[in-house]
Amino acid sequence: MSEPRLISDYLAVLAAQLPAQIVEELTDGLAETYQSYLRQDLAPDLAAGSAVAEFGDPHVIVSAYARVNPARRGARRLLLTGPVVGGCWATVLITSRAWAWPVPLAARILLGLALLTVIGLLATAALVTRYRLAARAVLAGCLGAAALDTIMITGVMLAIPSMTWVTTGAVAASTARIALTVQTLRPILTR
Amino acid sequence: MRAEELKGHLDAVLLAALEGGPRHGYAVIEALRQSTGGRLDLPTGTIYPALRRLEQAGLITGSWSVVGGRRRREYRLTAAGRRALSGRRADWRDFAATVSAALEGRPCPNPA
Repeated sequence: MSEPRLISDYLAVLAAQLPAQIVEELTDGLAETYQSYLRQDLAPDLAAGSAVAEFGDPHVIVSAYARVNPARRGARRLLLTGPVVGGCWATVLITSRAWAWPVPLAARILLGLALLTVIGLLATAALVTRYRLAARAVLAGCLGAAALDTIMITGVMLAIPSMTWVTTGAVAASTARIALTVQTLRPILTR
Repeated sequence: MRAEELKGHLDAVLLAALEGGPRHGYAVIEALRQSTGGRLDLPTGTIYPALRRLEQAGLITGSWSVVGGRRRREYRLTAAGRRALSGRRADWRDFAATVSAALEGRPCPNPA
């Protein structure tokens, strides 16, 4: 379709903020709307104006897609699991007197900062209305959460040779969260 | 009828538009126009995110095809979507009968 400037400008606003697959679907819909006005004998510029007006404010469309963004829902689910998994690991660390472990201070600080960064990324993804920013934030947050879970599982299993029920519970919680992370990432990576 | 008046019923209306067979976004809008005699005045662009939401809920499923050199996403009802539509229809009939009875001072056909 050789489309008028008005339509390409409208699609450019959407393309700047939404993933390619969504923009492709909207492009098809807008082209169909434009063609229907042409079939009613409207001049191309008038048909384009009518099609764009019928589609509505592009920022309203972007906001509507932001509300159904799987990245936002995934980030919220992961944030909700945080206190549960964190509580499990806190119990393990307290019951095994983790403060006496020979872990360098720098490593402890680094782990704490990594945890805060992951929480910040997931909170950003859960709250932000910009579709692509939410997707990028949840991607980084998911990778960080999975890395932290892996570090905790490996580190604690090396530090505590005999598994207690508390440790087993924490490992199970972290493993479940890694699975949830993969599930969260799937719809984001496949679009 | 404007979009805000349809709030809460958009999902059911979209599911109903897909009941007759698979349709792409624009065809869904056209079907709604035809079935309502053009009385639904919805911003076309907001139909697409609503379809995406129904797909995420498992009520419809989408697939891609190429038509006239453009990629097109077509939606069809799932079994869960058909059940949801049936439930929403029953709820709507009950709601409409109750409110009509209240507005017109008639006895309610299905008293509690």
